[in-house]
Amino acid sequence: MAAENSLASRLYRGEAGLNIVGRRKMWFTVAAVLVVIALGSVIFNRFSLGIEFAGGNSFQVPTSVGTMADAEATADRALSAEGAHVVTAQKVGGAGGEFYELRTTQLDAEQAEAVRLAMAEQFGVDPANISANRVSEAWGSQVTSRALLGLVIFLALVTTYLAFRFEWKMAVAALFALVMNLILTAGIYSIVGFEVTPSTIIGFLTILGFALYDVVVVFDKVQENTRGITANNNQTYGEAANLAVNQSLMRSLNTSVVALLPVGGILFIGAGLLGAGTLKDLGLVLFVGMAMAFLTSIMLATPLLVVLKNRDPRIMAHNKRVEARRGAMGETPATRAGKTAATPADEQEDEEESEPVPAESGALAGAAAPKVGARPAGKRSGGARGGRPRGGNRPGSGKRR
Amino acid sequence: MRPGRQLAVLAGMLVVLYLLVFFSGGASGGWKDRLEPRLGLDLVGGTRLTLEATNTIDGRAPTAANLERARQIIESRVNAYGVAEAEVVTEGDRNIVISLPGENRDLSEVGSAAELRFRKVLKVADGSGALPSPAPSPTAEPTASGTPSPDGTPSATPDAKASSSPSAGGQGGGAPTPTPSATPSAAPSPTASEEPVPQSIEEQRQAVEKKVGAEAWAAAEGLQAPADLSADPALAEKLKPFAELTGREVAVLPAQMQFNVPTISCVQLDDRPPASISNPEVQVVSCEGGYAKNLLDVAKVLGTDVSSASAVRDQTSQWVVSLNFTSSGQEKWTALTREAFNNEGQACDASALGDEGKCRVAVVLDNAIVSSPQIQGVLTGNSQITGNFSNAEAAELAGFLSYGALPVTFEAQESQNVTATLGESHLRAGLLAAGIGMLLVIIYSFFYYRLLGSVIFASLVLSAMLLFGALVVLGRQIGFTLTLAGIAGIIVSLGVAADSFVIYFERLKDEIREGRSPRSAVNRAWVRARRTIISANLITILSALTLYIVSVGTVKGFAFALGLATVLDLVVVFLFRHPMMAMLARSRAFLSPRVSGLGRVLPARSSEQAQSRNPRVKEA
Repeated sequence: MAAENSLASRLYRGEAGLNIVGRRKMWFTVAAVLVVIALGSVIFNRFSLGIEFAGGNSFQVPTSVGTMADAEATADRALSAEGAHVVTAQKVGGAGGEFYELRTTQLDAEQAEAVRLAMAEQFGVDPANISANRVSEAWGSQVTSRALLGLVIFLALVTTYLAFRFEWKMAVAALFALVMNLILTAGIYSIVGFEVTPSTIIGFLTILGFALYDVVVVFDKVQENTRGITANNNQTYGEAANLAVNQSLMRSLNTSVVALLPVGGILFIGAGLLGAGTLKDLGLVLFVGMAMAFLTSIMLATPLLVVLKNRDPRIMAHNKRVEARRGAMGETPATRAGKTAATPADEQEDEEESEPVPAESGALAGAAAPKVGARPAGKRSGGARGGRPRGGNRPGSGKRR
Repeated sequence: MRPGRQLAVLAGMLVVLYLLVFFSGGASGGWKDRLEPRLGLDLVGGTRLTLEATNTIDGRAPTAANLERARQIIESRVNAYGVAEAEVVTEGDRNIVISLPGENRDLSEVGSAAELRFRKVLKVADGSGALPSPAPSPTAEPTASGTPSPDGTPSATPDAKASSSPSAGGQGGGAPTPTPSATPSAAPSPTASEEPVPQSIEEQRQAVEKKVGAEAWAAAEGLQAPADLSADPALAEKLKPFAELTGREVAVLPAQMQFNVPTISCVQLDDRPPASISNPEVQVVSCEGGYAKNLLDVAKVLGTDVSSASAVRDQTSQWVVSLNFTSSGQEKWTALTREAFNNEGQACDASALGDEGKCRVAVVLDNAIVSSPQIQGVLTGNSQITGNFSNAEAAELAGFLSYGALPVTFEAQESQNVTATLGESHLRAGLLAAGIGMLLVIIYSFFYYRLLGSVIFASLVLSAMLLFGALVVLGRQIGFTLTLAGIAGIIVSLGVAADSFVIYFERLKDEIREGRSPRSAVNRAWVRARRTIISANLITILSALTLYIVSVGTVKGFAFALGLATVLDLVVVFLFRHPMMAMLARSRAFLSPRVSGLGRVLPARSSEQAQSRNPRVKEA
């Protein structure tokens, strides 16, 4: 029995009873602080851009100097004096003979000349045989601006879609979580100073869909749990939402883990075996972004939704009713609710009128295990859910929409 | 609910896809070659073409802004070839380097300026360059009338109101046949070459004057019309040095001289450097079909007057390029056609008229006349360019016209092959990463979902097979190119594909916990999970579509891959996972904790139920 009640097993059954919505002030505060830090870093620190964005230099070395790997290593030595390094090395061949082309990080004209001479010396060839050139960025400003335009259009479209599919408050909350996710991911990049390459941008765009995927999963459950919530007086909107988060926690965790595992594989191989490059860039941004997506969908999207919902007069009235009813019920049921897990955070929530009984959500945690399977409201599930593992569907389905 | 049928549909899809992989157009070689997707520049290398800016004749480097603008246009053009992950960078202050995956690609056209000009054809002369040719140039047609039919191959037929079909052109199988002797009457228009000329061109002209000799130069300048060399052998001898000039040297000569000196042949004229005749404000000479020299009026309608162009089939199912003009361009075009239709001021020489006695208007692209239809009415609608195009050529020209002309003219250097930037080792590492990632997902799902993990496993294999087949086919059909980033994207998409299973499964758990029989739970869970899965995937598809439509370059390729993977995910979810689950649910072992992990929710529930039932009943 003890094992049955371990956190893992409660998670498995969707009964962890974590009070997530109730502690929303904490999440918002943490998120706000992080966003300020992230934005500050993005503004002041900027990103460290790869040569695809910043442009670079190219050196053309005759193939007579040896293998490409040798040429690259030698060139790197010559470049290190100027703090630059080789980004790509290619063998170029045509009718006019063959040469190695080494693309390096950005150098100014003097540095490039110095490197050219140093290379000639190290390769032991005539400097005239090595040519140096500036290379522009391959990822023009046009690509970035069009990608940003696409991003904005997508956000507009997806908000419309979510507003249509769920409701506009959910759309706003989802969008908010998404934007937070993007800001925080960008912030991490800026702070740590990871190099931004086209792979990073692409990974960043992948997160878009993924973050919303998580949010949709959670909101789907919230919508289900709160449908017709005003018809009875058992739960405030916040509690129902919190229950939904708990019930879909395992789902979110699982989808995130399943999606993160391959990304972890990419990151491991990319960073471990190859040291740098596309795989690492992509793996990194996806890992950071997907982890963020999981957290924001749970900690930010749903709590924000509750805040928005609690401003709705109908929900406000409903919450009051629930509160009143609980007050009227007096001590008897309170023993059930109050005793268990009213956390300090819950207490402080009490001052907020719109959501009067956070204690209840805490209550769900421990004693309310029986409530778990409950669909929209605890009351209904009383008789329906089952002592009977099999064949118990008749009463349940009869009552459910 | 017929699981069998859905599985059959899926099997059918797989069969069709792999038939395409092995036997569709473009498939060739052994079975291994047929299974190869098109790989990107970073993995297998490709072809590189360097374009050197030749800013017309004076040889200065273009401005950085112009070079960047040219780079962007070239990038758009290259990307129009397909989803090919090309790289276009500028190098130094006058080169643009284009790299495309795949060896030995023909990129020679990509650097053409695509300056479109509409010019009235004023006069026509023989451009064969034949020295004393006693007889007028050989002809396949009767020439008595002195009204040469325009060249047979290209003929533009403005659509809209013009009743005309390409009648103006078309009929001549042979070369256009203006006889030199037929045109001496026309009033010369001496103005054209009197424009102020940049110093450097003036100098180059002097250099040419030296080369041909003062006598020849004077003789050429004295010509008021194309000279009849057969009638005047002495003049022919004098003008002979002009036949030795290179295209570059010919280009600096005044247009009148290029036209009037018969020893300057179309071969030389066609060899002029790019943009030699792009100046819309002067008359120019250009050849059509390699024989006929055309003296062309100033350009009154330009490429910038075209708002969009597209390749379409006309009534005769020929590929043509249809042009939409801007509103001001429309007015200019109407004015030009009116002028040509009425032959205002008798500007068009008799030799240059079409067979109905109307002026022709040449469609000039860079140095060449694409076609020169006779104008058979005042045209107020849009226009189209015809000219024996293949589908690909028409599409390419339309693309060039839509993206605009290059502000800089380029000469293509020799194309080169380049090796991969990352290469074999990275490809292997990518595949290894894919393997490890998949393995982790599968281990996790077996751990968490027990034997049901095998459904995940099978569906991942299916997803991968579908995706791979699609990649191979699309690589051939639309040039979809797989880069290392693309491979990583696919790995990720497989993980995300497993997600939809998780959602489904967790739903199932909910339903079982509520005490449903496996079969009804599977159905109910499916109905509910389907909603979630569809909305989540729709969002991803939405993002892919938006990015694909709006963005350019690498991002477009990414968006395509993302959309493809998501659609395939939906296919697998609907046609495989659900039917499989429905079939499994009939088996007895389905609920056993050992087999599925599903039953785990039950014992716990029932024991807790026993304990906690009473208080709850009270409450309720």
